[in-house]
Amino acid sequence: MSERFAAVEGRRMVSRTSAEELGALTHLVADVGQRKVTSLVMGKGRKAVLIDWDQVSGFGPDAVMIADESALHEPRDDHESEAADGKLELVGKRVLSDMGEDLGEVTDVVFDPASGALETVVIGEQEVPATSLLGAGSYAVVVKAPG
Amino acid sequence: MRLLVTGSSIRGLPVVTIHGGEDVAEVRDLIYNPEAGHVAGLTLNKRGFLAGRLREVLPAANIHAIGSHAVMVEDEGSLTARDAAPAEVGAPPSGRDVTGNEVLTDQGKSLGKVKDVVVLVGSAGEVVGYEIETASGGTGYIPLPSQLAVSGSALVVPDPTQDFVESDLVGLGAAVDEFRSRLGMT
Repeated sequence: MSERFAAVEGRRMVSRTSAEELGALTHLVADVGQRKVTSLVMGKGRKAVLIDWDQVSGFGPDAVMIADESALHEPRDDHESEAADGKLELVGKRVLSDMGEDLGEVTDVVFDPASGALETVVIGEQEVPATSLLGAGSYAVVVKAPG
Repeated sequence: MRLLVTGSSIRGLPVVTIHGGEDVAEVRDLIYNPEAGHVAGLTLNKRGFLAGRLREVLPAANIHAIGSHAVMVEDEGSLTARDAAPAEVGAPPSGRDVTGNEVLTDQGKSLGKVKDVVVLVGSAGEVVGYEIETASGGTGYIPLPSQLAVSGSALVVPDPTQDFVESDLVGLGAAVDEFRSRLGMT
């Protein structure tokens, strides 16, 4: 069953080892080149922490299970700092085609919660397969021009 | 039907990396090669309000596409130091500005004066026409053959051009292919 970025925001994150609730998911961070969710962000601003995708033991409909509380870490490099700040968040980002045309804004991203693989990018009324993704950064998400 | 933009609307567009999704520069100006009918490259500004000129330039060979909303490049390495760029981009010869040049047909009729170049959207800078100020003071758009004679004060276009003076870019976009087939260009 696929999940959507917008729908998983706010989902509680629970440690599998201690059964403690760690907090709520702020947003997901994806690597567009790998077409995969790479980490989860919890909290905002300077308090934001990341959890690597491979520390997620189960991405369920009611809770995201994290292997252990020790999986929570502060940003380790500039890229992770940008991710924690929400600058790389796909939802809400401008979409450009590789031909330089503005296609709108990312309204949602559909992914497989078992593997973290991105499936579809929703741009308003349009849906673009994740295989059309070429790149993403602080300015725009770039997709292959339609047609 | 072709989508077209004028040179003036390309100025100020962000230069965006396809694989990085970053706006690495913005277009300062076009370096135009009127003999080739092609943009040779772009000069650049830093991104941001009043951020100033960037030392690097963008040769046409490194442009993936000029679009309506951005100029797309592969990555940051597409921006080239001025002295490493082809001479026509790094140190463009003077006298290439066609703005203000009179447009004469090869039968000696004046169509007006060049105001701006018209670029094919999605290309790396193919100039398919000019925006002109017509004799009556209005704005018109004319298609171009791929090559033409340019003197520095006037340029000579084929006589059929006068049948293709369009009042807007949409009209020119529709006329370009017909014009070129009339001239036997494919």
